[in-house]
Amino acid sequence: MQKSILVSAGLSVLLIMGAVWFVSIERGGSGPAQVASTTPDGTQVIDITAKGGYSPRVIIAKAGVPTILRVSTRGTFDCSSSIVIPKLGFQKFMPPTGTTDIPISAKDAQGTLQGLCAMGMYNFQIRFE
Amino acid sequence: MTTHTFHVRGMHCKACTVLICDTFTELPHVEGAEVSLATHEVRVTGDFEGSPSEIAAQLSKLIEGHGYSLSLEREAHEANWGDFAYAVPIAAALIFGFVLLQKAGLTSLIGSGTVTYGTAFLIGVIASVSSCLAIVGGLVLSLSANSAKEGGTWRTQALFHAGRLGGFFLLGGVVGMVGNSLHLGLTANIALGILVGLVMLVLGVNLLDVFPAMRRFQVSLPAFFSRGVNAGAKKDHYLAPALVGIGTFFLPCGFTQSMQLYALSTGSFTQGALTMLVFALGTLPVLALLSFGSLNIAQRSWNGIFFKTAGLIVVALAVLNIGNSLVTAGVIAPFINF
Repeated sequence: MQKSILVSAGLSVLLIMGAVWFVSIERGGSGPAQVASTTPDGTQVIDITAKGGYSPRVIIAKAGVPTILRVSTRGTFDCSSSIVIPKLGFQKFMPPTGTTDIPISAKDAQGTLQGLCAMGMYNFQIRFE
Repeated sequence: MTTHTFHVRGMHCKACTVLICDTFTELPHVEGAEVSLATHEVRVTGDFEGSPSEIAAQLSKLIEGHGYSLSLEREAHEANWGDFAYAVPIAAALIFGFVLLQKAGLTSLIGSGTVTYGTAFLIGVIASVSSCLAIVGGLVLSLSANSAKEGGTWRTQALFHAGRLGGFFLLGGVVGMVGNSLHLGLTANIALGILVGLVMLVLGVNLLDVFPAMRRFQVSLPAFFSRGVNAGAKKDHYLAPALVGIGTFFLPCGFTQSMQLYALSTGSFTQGALTMLVFALGTLPVLALLSFGSLNIAQRSWNGIFFKTAGLIVVALAVLNIGNSLVTAGVIAPFINF
């Protein structure tokens, strides 16, 4: 019995560590790459895609500028279609296919804005610098 | 006139106490009956003949059909810690498999074209093995394994699924016709997520069967809910699982919510109802496997390992759900990304 308990404990630790490692790694090369674009009237626009998670996951944007977060859905039926931004108290169930504009005021465009899906499975970050 | 106290096996909700109580008081020679869910005991007063064990056997026969039995002695409690040697690695392997499945990118199977009933079915199938499995599947597993453990029958499980399918059909139709979503707000969603997480936590710890004291916190529908105005207690007993099935329509599951949004856009009762029904049918194979599987395994000799494995998985999913709800509330930073 003693031996089987040791084997089972070892096996469990390995599996759980494996699962944690899988969940915590970043998806292939999605580092802080995307930089927001600016329209002629001075509003900056951030484009992200929601389907089985958000991409890009990290966006760098200018701080203190009125911003529009434009989320496109393409046959998105998973959790990422219900977007939540806790800091803004914002939640919206986006249509399965289409684009949704989320306005972020200049005052809110500070620091790091964390967005995620309603169940918390997928997340993304906007870093205002 | 004598009073006897017996131990009841197989009781799991308030409706059970009502059903047992009514069955006994209907007997001409029984004066009164009192059933306690907390202690799993029944006190009957009346003109009985024979020894206490004969009376127990007689009364037991009347309620056997509903999955209960009476005994003189309280059943001895054994934690069976040895089962964990198998349950822990099996549970860890299944959780690992679940994580791998999330990473497999199943959502890319869904095209961006128009939603046909075929697509709705496919989305249902994908939903049943993805993030929704954490909440809906976890709830089904914990409820059915608990029900199987307490001697529940296939009827309870079948009623749950019938309620779920019927509820999705009707509510889908209502959403389509009214053109208004039945979505809950952000705060309500977070509260519901935490509540479901806590229910799963209690049910999961119950399945582990290591703290007998936890039985007192058993999740049960309040008595006023189970005791309908006109309907008899026997019917109510079957109503509870069906109501829980209908209730799954409101569970915070991303797929269900976006399907509701689609049903809403159809603008017709028939289309909305059929879309939601087909979606629910897509989720049925996995959910039915969970509930009827646990019922089947509950009768095997190694059921102890199964209940402990299920308990560990349910507890893990409960912690995941509560954690995710706190993330959504902005209380803690995101700790996972599937």
